[in-house]
Amino acid sequence: MKTYRIVYRLFVSIALVTSLLVSQTVSVASKGDVAVGKDGMATTAHPLASKAAMEMLQRGGNAVDAAVAAAFAIGVVEADGSGLGGGGAMVVYLQKEQRSVFINYYQQASEKINEVNYNPATDNKSAKTILVPGNAAGLTSALEKYGTLPLAVVLAPAIKYAEEGFPLDETLSSIILDNNDLLAKYPSTAGIYLPEGFPIQQGETLKQPELARTLRAIAQQGRKGFYEGPVAEEIVKVVTENGGKMNMNDMKNYQVVISEPVRGTYRGYEILSADAPLSGASVIEAMNMLENADIKKMGHFSSSVNTTHLMAETMRRVYADRTSFIQDPRFAYIPTNGLISKDFAANRFNDINMATADPTDYRKTKSGNPLPYDAKSRKRISAPPQQQTTVDVRDDVDDEASSSKKESDPFDNWGKKKKSRIEPAPNATPEGKDDSTSQKKNGKSDPEKKEIESSYNMRAADSLGHLLVLYAELAEPPLMESDGHTTHLSVADKFGNVVSLTQTLGTFFGSGLTAAGVMMNGSLSNFSTTTSVNSIEPNKRPRSSIAPTIILKDGKPFMSVGSPGASRIVATVIQLIVNAIDFGMDAGENNRAPRFFCQKFEDYLHLESRFTDDVKEGLKKKGHTLREHAEFDLYFGGAQIIMIDQATGTFYGSADPRRGGAAIGD
Amino acid sequence: MKFFRYLTLVIALGTSVTMLFSQSKEKFEQPILITSAGQSADVTLAASLCKKAGLNARAINRATAADVKDAKTLMIVPGFSSKGLGAAGISREQEMDRVKEVIAAAVKQKMKIFVLHIGGKPRRGVQSDDFNKVCAEASQAMIVVKAGNEDNFFSAIAASKKIGITVVEKIAEAIKPLEAACTKN
Repeated sequence: MKTYRIVYRLFVSIALVTSLLVSQTVSVASKGDVAVGKDGMATTAHPLASKAAMEMLQRGGNAVDAAVAAAFAIGVVEADGSGLGGGGAMVVYLQKEQRSVFINYYQQASEKINEVNYNPATDNKSAKTILVPGNAAGLTSALEKYGTLPLAVVLAPAIKYAEEGFPLDETLSSIILDNNDLLAKYPSTAGIYLPEGFPIQQGETLKQPELARTLRAIAQQGRKGFYEGPVAEEIVKVVTENGGKMNMNDMKNYQVVISEPVRGTYRGYEILSADAPLSGASVIEAMNMLENADIKKMGHFSSSVNTTHLMAETMRRVYADRTSFIQDPRFAYIPTNGLISKDFAANRFNDINMATADPTDYRKTKSGNPLPYDAKSRKRISAPPQQQTTVDVRDDVDDEASSSKKESDPFDNWGKKKKSRIEPAPNATPEGKDDSTSQKKNGKSDPEKKEIESSYNMRAADSLGHLLVLYAELAEPPLMESDGHTTHLSVADKFGNVVSLTQTLGTFFGSGLTAAGVMMNGSLSNFSTTTSVNSIEPNKRPRSSIAPTIILKDGKPFMSVGSPGASRIVATVIQLIVNAIDFGMDAGENNRAPRFFCQKFEDYLHLESRFTDDVKEGLKKKGHTLREHAEFDLYFGGAQIIMIDQATGTFYGSADPRRGGAAIGD
Repeated sequence: MKFFRYLTLVIALGTSVTMLFSQSKEKFEQPILITSAGQSADVTLAASLCKKAGLNARAINRATAADVKDAKTLMIVPGFSSKGLGAAGISREQEMDRVKEVIAAAVKQKMKIFVLHIGGKPRRGVQSDDFNKVCAEASQAMIVVKAGNEDNFFSAIAASKKIGITVVEKIAEAIKPLEAACTKN
């Protein structure tokens, strides 16, 4: 007995010392501080998800293994933002192959979606808004194609957190409190989050045993464990019983779409982001516009009226264009090359009046016309619709308005020469130069892309219809996402691979309905019910603001970035890129910098209270109506940033202080 | 040995009960008007607590001075929510003005004011504490969930204003003290 005790004590001592030694090699940072790593870095919106990623890296796994582990885990420990019942997308940079891929596993409408009697006024956040989830398919597919570890190993942390529970943090407890009404709506959900009828509170343990069973089914059977058999049957049954529309065909036929990311450049850096129906093209369009100004010289937006005004006016135009053109590319032709062309951006930039918010009513912001720029360089699709070449909508959109504004030099207020309307930044890329480069990269030469494109069901006649109807209907604002939901994570490994991943339930806690322990998404509301662009159709994926992004410098990863935050995502990612490239901010400074948001479908320019009074007053004088938020407000997202110093091979990670995350470096 | 255990138990129980009643000397009449201060979703929870306590209460998120006249007690549920303010389409300043107007109307009507702070930590911090302070200082009694009073923010106000405060561990535990604080209908 005594010997056993000695052996036991010895074992415990060794374990403690080992864990201490191990922990000493790990750098952990939260609240916007910076973690440093040489062998890898993971930053997510929850420390346990970051830990799951780090466990995979320490086992010798790559960034994809780690990102998938973190993505499964975050769906458990941050169940309000994402999970098996939702979907998302990731951009992966593969060092060995020197290429990148875009994996779209966003939620998709049922083949019977037209049978849903959906009324956005009354059915928002209900079972009627549930789309076919893509999360399990996307993550298992990414692991299978680009990962190295077994699925059961990668899923182990998520299963453990669901089964044994975890202490509720401040962010999740606050969101549960805010969404009490939704969580009380369905007994299967109330049983998890509202014990005794009231919200589970910070510090209490949240267990999800049913979710653990579903995760185990995936660990044992792969995607079949979710999309076929008892789990799928349970999900279909519960969704249908509660008024939603989903069948076993929908589940079985769900497909992950793998293609190249959409590409652009900003001051010599290359941007890789999420293609349509997600919003990477909008980020690139904005960066192209901003490249026309010397932002560094103008000063940081939190202390410069002109920079904030310029960026706000840029955001409004980009959001207008996004709403007019971005939708599921399998259902209509998207003029992405036009949207991301430098020439189109210059045209949109010249539309900005630096003296005043123009038009003052944000909702009257007109979309631009990327089609002429797209026609010049259309290489993205294998079979563009024939009618497309005959469509000329230039007279229908606001090119006319842009021309008339050409007299109002955006730089007048700065005392610059009228002719030099666009002052190139010191490292600015000449207009158009990089466009051709990016188009080459987007071209048809890639066999994988070719295969995917040929599988797209391009509907030429519909595309023409969409474009013609579009301009007549733009006066009606589409339904916009209003919650600060969704989650982002970034992972980088010692092999040089990087993953930028954003996933979502559509809104906080999605539909509010739990089936097989899985919180089901509410993403039907991401479709538009007022315009033909992004309209609800069977098997279609809705437009989403998510924009996981990787930035390359000299062809090597420089930054992985992304954010949740609904419609604010694009605006936040734009600011994060400007902070890093124009102002040289490190990951922590970047996350702590004040943020703002402005778009077409809004009445206010939203900003954090830390903007200087001079900026606030200056913006008001220019005609903006401000809405001030807290110093660090979750409204503006929860960015997870990794920056990579290629010279020293060092990773720097930061989790947004607006959300309870952590960066862990090894 | 057993004797001491029983004695300790009796003393502990006695102390709790005494604390509860000494801190809730004020009796609050029904009907109760429940309103928010900061537009958090906690008002719904307060209404649910009152219902479970069998109280005659009506919740109006953005109650005005005019709504006060039909009630005998004003129950304020403080806690800032940017989401709530956004949904209501009002600014923080407008919300603060409304809260002060409602309190003033209640005071003018010699109505008692009760504060129910049930959101814990998420309803503390710079944005919430202005609302918490204004409401707590105007009240005659408070029920506060412990996580929201870890720094004794509410206890300190209760001590300085000599008003009753009951601190509970969980939201559901507020039902009994609520029941005890109100007169029977």
